[in-house]
Order: sequence, then structure tokens, then C-alpha cells
Amino acid sequence: MSDMHDDDAIAPRITSDIILERRRKSRYFQGCVYLVLGALVVWSIQVTIIEDTDWERMGSVAQVLESANRFFGIDYALFKDLLVPTIETFMIACLGTLLGVIICIPAAWFGAKNITPFKPITYPIARMMMTISRSIHEIVWALFFVAVVGLGALPGIFALAVRSVGFIAKMSAEAIEDIDPGPVEAIRSVGGSNFQILLYAILPQIWPQVIGVIIFEWEINIRRSAILGLVGAGGLGLVFFRQMNTFNYHGVMTVIIAVFGLIVIGEVVSHRIRRSLI
Amino acid sequence: MAILEISNLHASYSVTGPEILKDISFTVEDDDFFAIIGPSGAGKSTLIRCINRLVEPSKGEIIFDGRNVTKLPKRELRTLRRDIGVIFQEFNLIERMSVMDNVLSGRLGYTSNLRTLFRAFPRKDIDHGLQLLDRVGLIEFVDKRADELSGGQRQRVGIARALMQNPKMLLLDEPTSALDPKISREIMGLIKQMATELKVPCLCNIHDVQLAMEFCNKIIGLQDGYMKFYGPTEEMNKEKLDDIYAMEVL
Repeated sequence: MSDMHDDDAIAPRITSDIILERRRKSRYFQGCVYLVLGALVVWSIQVTIIEDTDWERMGSVAQVLESANRFFGIDYALFKDLLVPTIETFMIACLGTLLGVIICIPAAWFGAKNITPFKPITYPIARMMMTISRSIHEIVWALFFVAVVGLGALPGIFALAVRSVGFIAKMSAEAIEDIDPGPVEAIRSVGGSNFQILLYAILPQIWPQVIGVIIFEWEINIRRSAILGLVGAGGLGLVFFRQMNTFNYHGVMTVIIAVFGLIVIGEVVSHRIRRSLI
Repeated sequence: MAILEISNLHASYSVTGPEILKDISFTVEDDDFFAIIGPSGAGKSTLIRCINRLVEPSKGEIIFDGRNVTKLPKRELRTLRRDIGVIFQEFNLIERMSVMDNVLSGRLGYTSNLRTLFRAFPRKDIDHGLQLLDRVGLIEFVDKRADELSGGQRQRVGIARALMQNPKMLLLDEPTSALDPKISREIMGLIKQMATELKVPCLCNIHDVQLAMEFCNKIIGLQDGYMKFYGPTEEMNKEKLDDIYAMEVL
């Protein structure tokens, strides 16, 4: 008899009490999470800033301001020596990106799950390439190539090319994985080869996205190439390094302004190109 | 009494662009289930969106519940929108949130930003939400995420969300055209039933003429922005329908 009415007991009806209680608990939990995060931040500040800074050498606020003030000024004599390195920096960025894009073609092809030629081997190879490229800093790449091919712009170009592969190839491979399979089916149905599928069904779909990524990477590479000279890979960084070593702080500022100008130009150009393409 | 009076309404999406609505006038009474029919591109959705000003009308007057909609400043516009529930064609649920949170989102117009931040809805809202979910047959799905539901179930959540507002009117923008015919009829039936029960007048965009004739008591026929027909459902006939839909063949 009582069995017939047990349905309610098995699945208790949800009530506002249950929901309110659950929400209260979840807020409590959230509060705890934020508290822990806050404690972590405080602890990090304690260890890395308060204990690890040479406060005595820093001196008073006035002294800090004075130190900073040394940088404000322009060394006009440096202008004539900046033109060639600026152009060189720009060229390193362009060639580095171009070479990177070329390396990316096989990397993206191998690294996209849906089109990789032999998945157990080619896919891991491509993903490995991307990870290595991204996990090593451009300065470290530059050091490596300086050691391999010597000083100058060439190691800079190699460093940027290798460093660019990670991002461009990863984004392109993911774009390929996300394509609408419909057009692929259509080209396959008309008897198209794999190469024709690539050209007709895949490239048109990923083209705007890939171009966007390349331009973005090029813009970043301008920034990167401006510092590669620090380790002897040519460009503005070398000039910067020399000014810093000779304590010519106004010269340092002049180089920074040149870098800034170059980056602004890069952003304007990339904005224009992106607008006209997409 | 009339809940909504529209007179000489014009609308276009840009100043220089073509007019989407041309001189529309009609009145929705308190107990109306009003259908707007017409071919694609006739301006049905634009008309619906003008009423809560998701689209700004370019000329004409909309009086809702005694308020002149076209002239309302921003803050009062939000108060107006609270009073008008909207049910969308593509449901427009927040996919990654639970069914309950989706339904409660119908109360956001009444909820402060701080409460929203902590999702701290008052008990009476939660009770109301549970009651509505029970009515639309989704009480078992309270904790499910919206993207786990089927189309028909999602639209039921949409209905519950709109009714959460305690609306004075419902706007339905093609509520069934993403659903199959059987589910469509169920959903229309549910909306009609709830609307009658809660005494909420409805204005419904619908391209399925059969459903419109079955569920609605008044019909507007739009064609290319013009009002071709305006009257009770009984006055609609095959000839007039053919006239309204004549453009579609071209």
C-alpha cells in the first residue's frame, strides 16, 4: 500500500529552500577561493618584492625620481647612426616572418588532425615543432643562432622565423580543424583530389584568419627584432646595448623613441592591411 | 482596453536606406492573441522589434500601456522592457548556464547589479521560477545546462523566462520556426494556454499561416512593409492570403 506513494520519497521535489541553500554554499565556496587567492598574492609580494629588493640602494623617493630623470633627454648626435639599424630591424622582422610562414606550411598541414597525412607520426612531429618554437624565448633562439652562424642580421632572422612558427602554425592548424566540412564533401563528391580539396575547400575558408594571424605575428616580430641586438643579432638592439654600456642615458631614450616610432608604423600598416583584406 | 496602439509607424535601418515598415497602424486589445503574417522580408521582425525599441522607429507613434514608447528616455525604456516579455525564434538562451539561471534571468530587470553578481535572487523569484518550470514541464531539468536540452525544451525555457517578468504583453518572434511541426503545435498551444491563464495579450510573428489561423484571433498581413490585411481571423481567406504571399513567387 505504502509502496505506491513512495515515488515522492525517492525523488524529493526540488524547492526554493534547496536552491537557496545551494547558492549560499556556492557563494561561501567562492569566498574561500578568493581568500586563498588573495593570501597567495600577499605572500608573493612579501617574498619577491619586500624581502628581495635592495631598498637601501634604491634610496629615497627623490633619489628614485632622479635616477629615472636621467633618461629624459634626446641625444641628437645619435640620429645619423640610427637610420641603418632601424631599417635593419624592420627588415629582420619582415624576412623572419616570411621565413616563419614558409616553415609553417608543412607544420600547419601536419598539425591539423583532419588533414595530417599520417596521423601517428606527422601529427606529433608538427605539434612538437610548435611547442618547441613557442616555449623557447626569442632571445634564447637568437643566442643559439648567433653561436651557430655568427653575429649579424642572419641569426636574428632565423630566431624570429623559428619563434614565429609556434603561433602561426598553431592558429592555422586550428583554423583548418574548425572548417565547415560541407565544402570538403562537395569537392570530394565532384571527384576532386586531395590537393584540389586543399585549394578549393580548405584554403578559401581559412585564408582571412591565417592572414590576420600572420600580420599580427609580423607586428610582434618588429618588437622582437628591436631587442635581438642585445645578444648580437643586429638591428636597433645593438645600438641600445652600446648606449646602455656607456651610460649614455639620453642615447638610450633616443633608441627607445626610434623603436617606438617603428612599432607605431608597424601597427598602422598592419591595421590598414587587415582592414583591406577582411 | 487596448494594451498597445500603433499609429502610422515607419521604420528603416538607415536614414538613406529603404523603408522596412510603411505606415503601420493597429491596436492590440487586452485579450488578443495577435498574429503578424507575411513572406520573408516583409518586415515582421522589424515590427516586433520596434515595439520594445530594439529597432528605432523613424516615424509614428507606439503607445504601450499608456506610455509613449518612441519618446521614452533610456532608464524608462528599461522599465518598459521589463513589462514586455519576448520569446525568440532561436530561443536566445544563455547556453552555458543552468535552466534555473536562464529562467531567473527574466528577473534581471528587477535585480540590482550587486545581487546579479552573486546570483542572489530573492526566494519569491526562485519560487516563481520553479512554479513556471513545473508548468512548462521542465521541473526535472532545473539543474541541467541549457545546451543539454532539445529545441522544444529550450523554447519552454524561453517561455518560462518571458513569463518570469510578469509581463503585460508577450512579443513572439517566430517562436516555432526552429521546431518541427508537431513540437511547434505543442509550443503554440502552451503559449496560448499560459497567456490565457495569466491574461497576457500576445503579438506573434509567424510564417506558418495554418498555425496563425488556428491559434490567433486577429491577423495582420504584411507585404514589403505595407499592411495588406488587418482584421479578425475569420475574415482571412485563401484569396487574401494569396494576395499577401504574391510577392514571394516573384
